[in-house]
Amino acid sequence: MHALIQGLILGILTSGVYALMASGQTLIFGVMKVVNLAQGAMVILGAYLAYQLFTAFGIDPLLAIPVTTVMMFFLGVGVQLLFLRPLRDEDRSELSLLVTFAVALLLEGIMSVTWKSSVRSINTSYANSSWTVLGYQITLVRLWAFLLSIAALGVLFLLLNRTRFGRAIRATVQNPESARLLGVESSRVSAIGFGLGAATAAAAGSVYGLLYPFNSGSHYDLISRLLSIVLLGGLGSIGGAVIGALIVSTSSAVVASTISPTWSEMTFFVILLLVLLVRPQGLFGTTERGSI
Amino acid sequence: MRAVAYIGPVRGFAFFAVLASLPLFNLAHWSLNILVFTLMYAVMSSAWNLVGGFAGYPSLGHGAFFGIGAYATALWFQHHTITSGYEPFLLLPVIGILAAGLGLGVAAIAMRTRADVFAIVTITLLFVTQTLAFNLRSLTHGAQGLSIDVPPFAAGTFERPFYYVLLLLLLVAMGISFGAMRSKFGLSLAAIRADEDKARGIGVRTLGVKLLSFSVSVGLTAMVGGVWAYYEGFIYPQFAVDPLVTIAIVLMTFLGGRATLWGPVLGAFILETAQQTLAYSLGGSQFYLIAYALVFLLVMLLMPQGIVPSVQTRLRRRRRRAAVDAAGSPGAPAASRSSESGGRDAVAAVKGHG
Amino acid sequence: MNIRNRLHGRSAVLLVAGAMAVLATGCASSGGGSGGAGKSTGPLVVGASVSLTGDFSDSGKAVQRGYQLWADTVNAQGGVLGRKVTVKLVDDASSPTQVVTNYQNLINKDHVDLTFGPFSTLLTIPAAKVAKRYSYAFLAPAGGGPDVFKQNLDNFFFVQPAPTTQSGDVFAKYILSLSPAQRPKTAAYAELDDPFSAPIAESIRARFEAAGIKTVYKQVYPSETQDLSPVMAALAAKKPDVIVGGTQSEDAYAQVKSLVQLKYNPKFMFQSNGANSPLEFPNKVGAANTAGIFSSADWFPGSDATGSAAFTAAYTKKFGGTAQQVDDSSAEAYATGQLIEAVAKKTGKIDNATIIKTLHSGSWPTVLGTLSWSANGSPTGSFNLVQWQGGKLLPIYPSSVAQAKPVFPKPNWGG
Repeated sequence: MHALIQGLILGILTSGVYALMASGQTLIFGVMKVVNLAQGAMVILGAYLAYQLFTAFGIDPLLAIPVTTVMMFFLGVGVQLLFLRPLRDEDRSELSLLVTFAVALLLEGIMSVTWKSSVRSINTSYANSSWTVLGYQITLVRLWAFLLSIAALGVLFLLLNRTRFGRAIRATVQNPESARLLGVESSRVSAIGFGLGAATAAAAGSVYGLLYPFNSGSHYDLISRLLSIVLLGGLGSIGGAVIGALIVSTSSAVVASTISPTWSEMTFFVILLLVLLVRPQGLFGTTERGSI
Repeated sequence: MRAVAYIGPVRGFAFFAVLASLPLFNLAHWSLNILVFTLMYAVMSSAWNLVGGFAGYPSLGHGAFFGIGAYATALWFQHHTITSGYEPFLLLPVIGILAAGLGLGVAAIAMRTRADVFAIVTITLLFVTQTLAFNLRSLTHGAQGLSIDVPPFAAGTFERPFYYVLLLLLLVAMGISFGAMRSKFGLSLAAIRADEDKARGIGVRTLGVKLLSFSVSVGLTAMVGGVWAYYEGFIYPQFAVDPLVTIAIVLMTFLGGRATLWGPVLGAFILETAQQTLAYSLGGSQFYLIAYALVFLLVMLLMPQGIVPSVQTRLRRRRRRAAVDAAGSPGAPAASRSSESGGRDAVAAVKGHG
Repeated sequence: MNIRNRLHGRSAVLLVAGAMAVLATGCASSGGGSGGAGKSTGPLVVGASVSLTGDFSDSGKAVQRGYQLWADTVNAQGGVLGRKVTVKLVDDASSPTQVVTNYQNLINKDHVDLTFGPFSTLLTIPAAKVAKRYSYAFLAPAGGGPDVFKQNLDNFFFVQPAPTTQSGDVFAKYILSLSPAQRPKTAAYAELDDPFSAPIAESIRARFEAAGIKTVYKQVYPSETQDLSPVMAALAAKKPDVIVGGTQSEDAYAQVKSLVQLKYNPKFMFQSNGANSPLEFPNKVGAANTAGIFSSADWFPGSDATGSAAFTAAYTKKFGGTAQQVDDSSAEAYATGQLIEAVAKKTGKIDNATIIKTLHSGSWPTVLGTLSWSANGSPTGSFNLVQWQGGKLLPIYPSSVAQAKPVFPKPNWGG
C-alpha cells in the first residue's frame, strides 16, 4: 500500500513534464497533421540550452525558460519553413514522419558535436532536498518541476485562448477548411504552430534537465513515450495529451514501485495497444487518422 | 509493348548473375562482409515494400520479426548442435512460416488501424517484443544474451554460404514483388493504398490481401533475422529487437522508391554500404550523423517519391518531349501518365476485372 | 496499366554499376590473407574498434587514451622490437553489425598486425569471433562477462585481474572477514539488467546468503529506467544494513541521489561501477556524498604495480589533471599494450601465434598487477576493494595493496 501511494505521488509529479512535451507535439499535429518525431530531440535541445545557461551564468532553469522558448520558437518556425512547407500536401502525412525523423537525427548530430556525448545533468543547489509528508517522500526538484510544467501549460492555454493567433490556431485545428474561408492564412498558422510546439519543447526541456540526466541520444527514449501519450489522449487534443501523460506516468511509476521496473515500460504500451484497438482515435481524439 | 515486357526479366537475370558470380572473383573478405549486410537489408526492404510500399501500411514493427527470427535460430541451437554448418539455413523456412503465421495474427489486430496509428501500433509491438526478450529470462537469458556456435566454414570461403542464402532470399523477395505487380494481388494492394474504403466498396478482398502481404513480408524479415544471428554469433535483446533496424529498412525503401521493384534494393545498396564504410572511415565524430540527416532531407525534398520513380518520371518526360518534338504534335501518348496515379488506375483496373 | 511501367526501372543499370564498383574496390585490395599474416618490418599497426559515438562513448574515449598513451610511451623508447607502434582506431557507433565490419576491415583491408578489443562490452563476442577466424590474438580490456569465456576462444585474453562478474567478490570477502558483531545482518540489492552489472551483485548475494546475511530486498531494473526513486524508496523502506548496487554509471549516481533524498544511510554501501569513476562520481553526486562508499578497481592512483608510476606520470603530462582523475579504463587499455611489449621482450617475436601461445603460460606484470589466464581467456586473479575517503578513492583491501584503513559504518550523507 505504501509503495502504491508512493508510486502514485511520483507518477503524478512526473506527469507534468510529459504533459508539457506532449501538448507541444499534439499541437503541431493539430495544426499541420504532422506527427513530429523531432519533438524529443527538441526537448533535449531545450535541456542543453538550459544546461548551458546554468553552467555558464548560473541561471536557474526556471529563469532560462523565457530565453530558451523564444530561441526554440524561431528554430521551430525555421524547421517548418525549410523542411516541411516544401512537401506537397498529398505526400505530407507519410513523408513528414521521415522528414521529422531526419530533423531529429540532424539535431542529435549537432548536439553531440557541440556538447559531446557524455551525460549531463543540471545540479541545482536544491537538487537533493526533500520533505517527508506522512511517511511519503516528496523531493523539491520534482515538486518544482511539476509546478513549472503546470505554469507553462497555463501560459500555453492563455496563448491559445486569449490571443488572436491563438484563436486562428484553434480554428485551424478544429476545421481547417472553414478557418481558411474565414481568412486564416494556413501557411502562417502552420509556421507559428510549429514554432509554438518547439517553444513548448524548450520549456519542457528545462524541466526535463532539472529532473533527469541526459545526452544527445536521450531523445530516442522520449519519442516512444511521447507518441504513446499523444495517441492515448488522441492526436490533436491538448487536454487528451495531459490525461495521456497522467495515465502513462502514473501507470509506469506504480508498476515500477509495486511490481518491478522491468515491466513498467511495457505497461503503458499495453494500455496504449488496448485503447487504440478499441478506439483508434485515442481517448479524446475526434477524427480517426487515415480514414478520410 | 511486347518487347518491352522482356527487358525487366533480362535485367533481373543480369543483376542476379553478376551478384552470384561476385564471390568467385576472390573478392576480399571485407567486401563480401559488407555485401552480406547489404543483402540482408535489400531482402528486408523488398519485403517491407510489400506492405509499406504496395499496400501503403507503414509498419514500424518489422524489427520485432527480425528479432523473433534471430531468437528462433539462437534458441533452437541451444539444444541442437551445428555440425555441417548448414543446419541454421535449413531451419530458415520453418522460421519463415512460423513468423508468417504469427504475422497473420498480429496483422489481423493491427491492420484495423491505418497510417500513422498503424505505424505507432506496430512500433509499440516492437517495444513489447523487446521487453519480453529482456524479461522472459528463463527462455531468452534476458540481458545476458544468447550465443550461437561458430560456423565450421573455412576462413577462406567463410562468407559464401551466408551470401548465397541471402541472395536466394533476395530472389524470393523480388520474385514475390515482381509477381505481385503483374497480378490481381498487386492491383488489389495498390487499390488499398489508394483508397481502401473505395476498394472494399467495389469488391476488392481488402482484408485477405493486406493480411497476406503483411504475413509474407514479416516471414521474410524473420528469415533474415535468423541469418543475421548466425552470422553475428551472439545476440542481445537490444540489438536483435532494434527499432533502428526498422527505421533503416523504411529509409532505404523511401530513398529508393516505394512500390517499385528495384527501389528498395537500390536504397539498401546505397545506404548500407555508405553507412558501413562511412562509419569505418569517418567515425569518431558525429559529423557523419549530420551528413546522413542532411542527405536524407535533401532526397526527401528533391525526390519525394524516391530515386527510382523520380528518375523514371524525368526520363519519361524527356522521352515524351523527344516524341513530341519528333511528331510535332502536342498529343502525348497515353501510356506515360505519371506514376503517382498508379493507385487510381489500379482501382479502375480492379473494377474492370470484377 | 501504369503499374507495369514501374517494373522496367532504369535502376538495375545503376545497381549493377554499384555492385561493380564494390567489386572493383574489393579486388583492388588483394584477396585478403588469413592466419594473421603480418609483416615483420615497418611499423607495428594495432587495430581496434572503439565506441566513440553512441551509448558507450565516454569509456570508449578513455580506452582510446590508454591505447594512444601506450603507443607514445613505447615509441619514445624505440618501439616494439625496433618497430614503431601505430594505433588505428575506428568507431563502431556501438553497433554489433558495425563492429563485425570494422574487425573485418582492420584485418583484411588494412592488414593490421594485431587486434585489441572494443570497449563496448556487448560487442566483444562478435568481434572476438571475427579475430578468431583469422587467427588473430584478441586482447580485450573490457567485456569480460561470463558468456565470453563460454565461447572457449583460445585467442581471447581478458585484460583485467578477474572476470567482470567476480569483480565484486572482494567486497564479500572483506565483509565476511569482519567479526560477526561488526558484520551486517541484512542486505538489499539493486541491480542493472545488463550482462556486466547484475551478475556482480548476484555473485556477492550468493556469498552473503551462504554466510547468513539475510536478503531483505532485491530488484533488477532495465537500463532505460530514468527514475530509480521507486526502487530506492522500496529498498530504503526495508532498512538494510548493507546496500549492494550492481551498477554501470548513470544508475550508480541515481541510486546515491535517491538515497540522499530519502535520507536513508546504510551501514555499508557497495557499487560495482560508476562509484569507481574518480572524476565523474564526485561530480555527479557531490563530493560530500561519496564518503564511505565502496567499489572495486583493478588500477588505482598510487598503485605500485609494474609501470604504474610511469603510466600515471605520462597520463597526467599528456592529458592534464591529477592521478586521482585517471579513468581505470585507460589503465586497462594501457596494460593491453604492456602485454604485447612483454611478449616481444620474452620471445623476440611479435606475431599472433606467438602471442597466443606465450600469454597462455606464465604470469604477466602490468599496471593492473600481475595477470594470468586460463585456457578460455578468463583471468585468474582478483580485484581490489576501494573506498571513498575524504574525497579520494583509496584501496583498502586486501591488505597487500591497502593505503588506508576501511571506514565503517558509513558516514552520513553530506546532503
